[in-house]
Amino acid sequence: MVDRTDSARTTTVLYVIVVVVAVLIGTVLAPVVWSATQSSSDNSGDPTVSVVTLRAGTDPGPVNDVKEDLREARTNDSIEAVVLRIDSPGGAVASSEELYLAMNQTARQMPVVAYVEGTAASGGYYGIAPADRIYVKPSSTVGSIGVIVSAPLSALEQAEAESKTYLRTGPDKATYDKDQFREEMETLHNAFLDTIMKHRGDELELSREEVGHGDAYLGPTALQNGFADEAGDLDSAISYAASQTDAIEDGQYNVHYEEPISPSGGAILLSEGAEKTDGNIVYVDKSGEGTTEFQRPVTYYAVWGVPVTEDAQEVSTNESE
Amino acid sequence: MKASDVLKPLGVFVVVIAVILAGTAVVSTLSGAGSGAPSDGEDIQGQSPDAFQPGNAIVTSAPEDGDISVDGSGEEKRILVDSSHGNQYSQSDLAAIEEALVQAGHEIDFAPSSEDGGFGESNYNATLRQYDAVLIVQPTGSFSDAEIAGLTEFADGGGRIVVLGEPPQLQVSGGLTAQVSEVRFGAQGLTEEFGLRLGSDGLYNADDDWNDNNYESVVASPDGDSSLTEGVDNVTLDSPGYVVQTGDDASVRVRAGPGTKTLERRQAGQHPVAAQNDNFVLVADTSFLKSSERYDMDNEQFISNLLDFLVSGDKDDDVPSGGDGGGGGLGE
Repeated sequence: MVDRTDSARTTTVLYVIVVVVAVLIGTVLAPVVWSATQSSSDNSGDPTVSVVTLRAGTDPGPVNDVKEDLREARTNDSIEAVVLRIDSPGGAVASSEELYLAMNQTARQMPVVAYVEGTAASGGYYGIAPADRIYVKPSSTVGSIGVIVSAPLSALEQAEAESKTYLRTGPDKATYDKDQFREEMETLHNAFLDTIMKHRGDELELSREEVGHGDAYLGPTALQNGFADEAGDLDSAISYAASQTDAIEDGQYNVHYEEPISPSGGAILLSEGAEKTDGNIVYVDKSGEGTTEFQRPVTYYAVWGVPVTEDAQEVSTNESE
Repeated sequence: MKASDVLKPLGVFVVVIAVILAGTAVVSTLSGAGSGAPSDGEDIQGQSPDAFQPGNAIVTSAPEDGDISVDGSGEEKRILVDSSHGNQYSQSDLAAIEEALVQAGHEIDFAPSSEDGGFGESNYNATLRQYDAVLIVQPTGSFSDAEIAGLTEFADGGGRIVVLGEPPQLQVSGGLTAQVSEVRFGAQGLTEEFGLRLGSDGLYNADDDWNDNNYESVVASPDGDSSLTEGVDNVTLDSPGYVVQTGDDASVRVRAGPGTKTLERRQAGQHPVAAQNDNFVLVADTSFLKSSERYDMDNEQFISNLLDFLVSGDKDDDVPSGGDGGGGGLGE
């Protein structure tokens, strides 16, 4: 009898322990299950238009930030449309292409609308080319389709002489000549120009060659020649973006403003690294130090502007005749 | 100890955890937007656009082949390369020309010895008498009236003159403190004697069919048949100018391709870039002599023709006359 009572008590204690341990473990795991089954948004049920703001050159830092925001928009189920608010004069071709690809990918999945707050020129325009609609103000600047390389001709000519000051394994290693620059610039230009024509060809009143002239246009001219679609402000862009998705009905939607992206230091036009490319293939010998610094031989820019050099340039006229 | 003594508590353990987790999932799903876990994988179609494909994007420069050759069958000729009028060229740009001329048995001088009269001496005519042809590359200094008179008589007497000029352009002079200055062609007075002037603007062509990978690199082609353009279909000139005819005597030999415009005024037209007036030729470009352009398209053939023109004159030794004393040449 005593044994039986003891046995029952032991069993009860055992079950209590088992249940308590199970509850503890369950409590620990519950948040994991909770977050796994929750969508990652902080929405309150309404679909959202995400406003991504780029106020910087299309240089690697800012472009990566935009790409993250766009990826968030693509993977977040509650975001149904994107507005890119842009004030960018372009930047390196490499990162401008990245911006284009990210925008292109986003535009394939949801409505993407661009609002040109200040400038969307060159690499900046590359980025907004896939947008369903481009909004401008009279003061907005768009266009400037083209590529520049930041190397004065004198440096080009010096490059050949300087290449004699170090040894190379092959004749084309670490050298550049003008033909090569032009071939490469033209190749990048073709990819750029054809991308613009692909996305904007139907709207543009200009021929491919005219677009290739590389002119920049203020808002009213851009509306006339097809570089932009509508005059308006950010709210016009948001409301158009919302109207373009079936997920938004009766104007019921949230607007989520991503943190504006600004330059990661340096001048807005050509941020870090730009000054270094002024000379081409420059061999820096720091005497007294054991290392030699090498510099990227060439960087191509899709930019609306001219290289900033440290030297103030003095223009004098030779009145020989 | 029976198996059920272990299995039963274990069963209870599992059931309790399952109920808690399932409950959490149900509550979470209901409180959320009703969606399941978002997919993080992305559809990456369309990220290899046509515009990025090699066949569409890649361009190549005009093939660089051919040779510069000069007719060496005639008598030996002496060619003077002007270097006394602030001429802007580098001797390495002319090295290929020099090589071809010397190979064909001709003589080329960059600076006449003072015995022959030298440059800037009072007896310029005496200097010219020593030569059969004169090549003047981008002079930035002007020619004096006496020099022009001497050169005019030189050409009238069978001497050959080729002038290569550049449109007005900004030039960056090197060093740490870069200076930008405008450089102008200085021999308008001379060329006008032959009914030609160098235009006041540069040319460009934005049509990819009529430029060599850059709007500044203009493709030009012959205007009619002439010995200067024999065997030439197209030449490429890097930032050329154009030639203006001021009289009826000169003939255009080479014209820029369709769609060419002037840089400043954007005046469209097949602007003349090379013209000839008998023994005198003016080309509105010097870049085609540079190593990067020399063998592009038919440039080497055009250069060869120019050299043949220089060595095929027929000038008497006493031309130009006068200038030996104080009454001629510069001192007239």
